[in-house]
Amino acid sequence: MKYALFLGCKIPAALPAYEMSTRAVLGRLGVTLVDLPFNCCGNPVRSVDREAFVVAAARNLALAGRAGLDVLTPCKCCFGSLRHAQRFLDEDPALRQRVQAFLAREGLSLPTTVVVEHLLPVLARGVGLDAITAAVTAPRTGLRVAAHYGCHALRPSDVTRFDHPLAPTLFEDLVRATGATAVEWPRRLDCCGDPIHDANAPLADRLTQAKVDDARESGAEVLATACPYCHLRFTESQAGGARAPLATMLYPQLLGLAMGLAPRTLGLP
Amino acid sequence: MSATFLRMALLVSLGLCALGILWRVSTWFRVRIGPDARTIPLHRRLSAAVGGAFAALFSRRTPGILKAFVLDVLLQRRLFADSKVRWLGHLFILAGFLLLLVMHGLAKLVTLKVFPAYQATLDPFLFLRNLFGAVTVLGVMMVMGARRHRPASSPIVRRPGDRIFTALLALVLVSGFLLEAQKVASPRAFYRMTKEYLDTTDPEETLPLRTVWAAEYGVAFPDLQGTPDPDKLAEGRELHNDACASCHTRPTSAFVSYPISRAMAPVVETLDEADAERWLNYLHVFACFLGLILLPFTRFFHALADPVSLLANGAASTGPLSPAARATRRALATDACVGCSLCDDRCSVAPIARHLGNPALLPSHKLLATRDLALHPHSLDRVDAHARRVAEGAWLCTTCGRCTERCPVGLDLADMWDAGKGDLAHAGHPAPAQWVQERTALEWADSLGASPGALDVLRDAASPLSAHRETYSACVQCQTCTNVCPVVAHGGEEPGAIDLTPQKVMNLLRLGMVDLALGSRMVWNCATCYQCQEHCPEGIRVTDVMLELRGMAYRSLGQSRERRQPE
Ligand code: SF4
Ligand code: SF4
Ligand code: SF4
Ligand code: SF4
Repeated sequence: MKYALFLGCKIPAALPAYEMSTRAVLGRLGVTLVDLPFNCCGNPVRSVDREAFVVAAARNLALAGRAGLDVLTPCKCCFGSLRHAQRFLDEDPALRQRVQAFLAREGLSLPTTVVVEHLLPVLARGVGLDAITAAVTAPRTGLRVAAHYGCHALRPSDVTRFDHPLAPTLFEDLVRATGATAVEWPRRLDCCGDPIHDANAPLADRLTQAKVDDARESGAEVLATACPYCHLRFTESQAGGARAPLATMLYPQLLGLAMGLAPRTLGLP
Repeated sequence: MSATFLRMALLVSLGLCALGILWRVSTWFRVRIGPDARTIPLHRRLSAAVGGAFAALFSRRTPGILKAFVLDVLLQRRLFADSKVRWLGHLFILAGFLLLLVMHGLAKLVTLKVFPAYQATLDPFLFLRNLFGAVTVLGVMMVMGARRHRPASSPIVRRPGDRIFTALLALVLVSGFLLEAQKVASPRAFYRMTKEYLDTTDPEETLPLRTVWAAEYGVAFPDLQGTPDPDKLAEGRELHNDACASCHTRPTSAFVSYPISRAMAPVVETLDEADAERWLNYLHVFACFLGLILLPFTRFFHALADPVSLLANGAASTGPLSPAARATRRALATDACVGCSLCDDRCSVAPIARHLGNPALLPSHKLLATRDLALHPHSLDRVDAHARRVAEGAWLCTTCGRCTERCPVGLDLADMWDAGKGDLAHAGHPAPAQWVQERTALEWADSLGASPGALDVLRDAASPLSAHRETYSACVQCQTCTNVCPVVAHGGEEPGAIDLTPQKVMNLLRLGMVDLALGSRMVWNCATCYQCQEHCPEGIRVTDVMLELRGMAYRSLGQSRERRQPE
């Protein structure tokens, strides 16, 4: 299996451990990653200029298309953004034409076949749960993990086709594959609060807090994430609080530990 | 030109250059970039800088700093990785210019001390002067040529003094070559020398020597064209060896000026009569002086700022910087930027900048805008198109850090962008999600109503969903969207809380009252979680519409904001 790795803006700048652990785990599982000169996925500009958003996303698709590769991203916001751009391009021929013209100035063109995937489905369905279970040599037996789905990967399901939007199991399956226990928690599909943190920090904090409290009350020892924005929101909003924070862990870190990889190679202390 | 006058002019321009440098250096401690820099007094910044420089110069890090200086500043390794042509061009300019300055400009001070036999008209100096000049010209051409290939949407930043300085540099080089060529071909220059060394200017008496100089040294005597007389040549050569040879190599080694002198030969008498040598000399010397005076105010000031900036980086690597040191480093960074645009080429939002036609998004442009706002805090007081573009540049940055990683001078641009956003917010240009909170949804709607035509923006191609009734006409007002919305659930009662629900926003659209929704807290505080869209029994794309409304609001409310400000 071979993918163009789309890291987006957040991971290299703020969460290099996610890149490290993703590369380490996928490398071990036989997934080849290729680096391309991608740009911003377009998400940040979507609130300002819809077409600029599509153009930015489309350029990334074009780069992948030129290299003949599908795209794998560990970021759920980038994932949603690229998928949305594909939808907008598919349903609006006039837009498609304008974007095509923009890309043509650089000698690029819109691909028809590029598939955008998130890290988790690639693991669960591409590599496969059996192969993952087989690769686990140090199962995390007894560890109670709350899996946080992340809105932009799960919804809208007709665009993201990530898993069943109301009763997904993909992330819990992956948690169980590491030997850990996936806890049931009512707020697992809720928003982490990050997208509104800049506009309304107190509101965002209430959303985050509700989730963390729920995970804790449901008996979780670890909150597992697979998106840099969710992950940093959980760690940052808990920092400096009165209670000891609920531990957060990126899924490839959890899996990497279960596969017996050295914590250092996963960006863990 | 009298020697005293020249020396005076040199001293004056050196003095002005020094004053300019002092002035520029003083800005490193005076300019306040970032909200945290505003309250720090000058003396704290000075002492922090001295402490930092000390820490960097006398620490374990010193070898690392030196290595960075050689590799990054002198050898430009990151430019090398990016563009070989620009790299070589830069190296040519740097080497050619410096060598010309030292060997030729400072001949009396340097070259004569090292080589007591130095004569401007002797090889290797004659040849080297041409070589260094040619290398500089070639370098300038390479850099300019490589830049010409940049797309118009990603222009190179220019500071006001840059063009003038480049023009002066060209003037210095061209006048230098012309002057040398004129001196080679000029009979008048020849007679000046015979007067000084042989005490004669008689054409007949100097005929043998003239024959030699016409045949082998390129002097264009009108009466000595064609094949030289062998007897006269032999006779003249003897005299030449006695009187001239110790100071003159054949000018053919001046491989640029000599061909020029051949071209000038037919008109050299006219030029002599017009006193061309003197005027060219004035031009050459005064262009040099003017360049010297302007130097601190051009991009070339980076030659001084870069090493200091690296020193600051070295200090930063020994531990976290104090706010005072950070403030100084930011001011310094605006001078240390060489305007190479490598950051722009790697910028994550460069395609967005291109699409919006707004170069202010590009880091090298943003750096100057950040400095300009710090220098002129009232320059963005008006909410207008210019301010909007500058603000867009700051707020659309994804803080991906690629520019910082790329910058060949090692500038901490991430810190700069943070500081710049703070300054912009302070100047009345916060992020859109913030400025829409200046008024309530109702007040915004009023402000739009006051100007007919404002709602036209809603019908543009940028909002295809909202422009079509089918998008929301099926809404049955079932409230499912509202019931699943986490923002409604956590919205709270305090001021600034959620004013509408998603279902009400959809209803406003159905009623054609979109203007009432644009400035609403619901639209701008929507977490884009897509719960509403996923759950809507009618398949209405509620979240997609919310995001579209923000785009409309950004344009239309932004325009209304521009119109409604006090004069
Ligand atoms: S941090 Fe901002 S300015 Fe720098 S490369 Fe990223 S998007 Fe561009
Ligand atoms: S900020 Fe750095 S990379 Fe960007 S133009 Fe200036 S010197 Fe070059
Ligand atoms: S859920 Fe759909 S149909 Fe129901 S009120 Fe919301 S938008 Fe209208
Ligand atoms: S997408 Fe926005 S409006 Fe819809 S449920 Fe989420 S926060 Fe509420």
